[in-house]
Amino acid sequence: MSNQRDREERVKKVGLMLLRAGSMLQSSGSSTSRTRMTVDRIADKFGCNADLFITHRALNITVSIKNHEYLFSATKRTMPPGVNFKIVSGISKMSWRVIEENWSVDQIEEELSRLETLPRYPRLLLLTLVGLAGAGFCGLADGSIYAILVCFFATFIGLFVRQETEKRKYNPYLCVFFASLAATMFSGGLHRLFPGAGLETAFATCVLFLIPGVPLINSFTDMLDGNILNGILKASNGLIISFMIAIGLTVSLIIYQF
Amino acid sequence: MEILNILLRGIFGGVAAVGFGVLFNVPRRTLLHVFLLGALSVMTKTIMMELNISISLASFTGAAAVGFLSLFAAHDKKSPPLVFAIPAVIPLVPGIFTYRMMTGLIRLTTETGPQFNELFAQTVHNGLKATFVIMALSVGVSVPHLLLRKESFHEIISFSRVIKSFKKTGRKKR
Repeated sequence: MSNQRDREERVKKVGLMLLRAGSMLQSSGSSTSRTRMTVDRIADKFGCNADLFITHRALNITVSIKNHEYLFSATKRTMPPGVNFKIVSGISKMSWRVIEENWSVDQIEEELSRLETLPRYPRLLLLTLVGLAGAGFCGLADGSIYAILVCFFATFIGLFVRQETEKRKYNPYLCVFFASLAATMFSGGLHRLFPGAGLETAFATCVLFLIPGVPLINSFTDMLDGNILNGILKASNGLIISFMIAIGLTVSLIIYQF
Repeated sequence: MEILNILLRGIFGGVAAVGFGVLFNVPRRTLLHVFLLGALSVMTKTIMMELNISISLASFTGAAAVGFLSLFAAHDKKSPPLVFAIPAVIPLVPGIFTYRMMTGLIRLTTETGPQFNELFAQTVHNGLKATFVIMALSVGVSVPHLLLRKESFHEIISFSRVIKSFKKTGRKKR
């Protein structure tokens, strides 16, 4: 009798750990098939069978020992989709080490907690590097040296506004709108003041740091893998973000009457 | 001069890729590879466009090259391929066409004169170009992943290892 209870406890423990790992992967920008593969790999190590039902805001898992004798099923709400490749990379690396070094469930839980608290890049460095990325975009669009400079500062301001509005817990799509508006208002204002300096390129490229690259590319990966529903979810998410960028740009265009 | 131009664009592309990598919070050890892949994608596209190949095909090739090499980078740095591939293709996104399409659409709402037809044609042209390039990018990045199934990719890696070990033993004998 106690043997049976032990097994039930074990399946439950493994199930909860897998659910946590899966939801972390799903909310930090992994493709659906990668989430499924990683969870399967860890479940296999513990002699369990895991079946996942994945949507973008919730995750349902059923774990069983091979002959379906002990079942555990649970649903977990996942965080709204953001991007954090440190977690994707860390969990993927961990899943190999689990097999090679024969980890226990508690060790995995510890590693997951460690990954969750890993620091992001320092804020000023992040702002500067993304500003440089904006400058790079402007250079690729054949902008003049002045346009590149303006684009650097516009991107810097845009990302700053986005971070500040996200801190105040505005709707994430609205944050994109505010960022796009701030960046284009800055570069558009300078373009209005110095019409001959070729700053239109800066105006056009300073919103590019907002493009939803991860949702759009992951949506295609998912659809090609056959996870069509998840692909459509991600595509819609990407399209709403693009739409918000366009609205911010449009408002600036109308205000400055270009 | 041409080569300088291509190199300069490569640097712009690499810087843009690193900026996006940092925004997506990639691990620090992967940043160099992200820079190199971003530079490579832009340089491939630039060279192909110099040869008068259409922008969609050029972008597709650049993205496919990144998708293919990201598999090797992933093996090298022990991170999933998408960590390298997504930041590296973002510099290929055709921002200026999208912008022209947007401004065109806004002007079309008020334009009623004889310029309407020309403006309409330009807007549709820019919009279609942007759409096709973005589609080419997303498909181009995922194609190598789908073509090389996991087992066959490991075969390639082990094959290259065999060659390396051959070279090493050859040197020792000499």
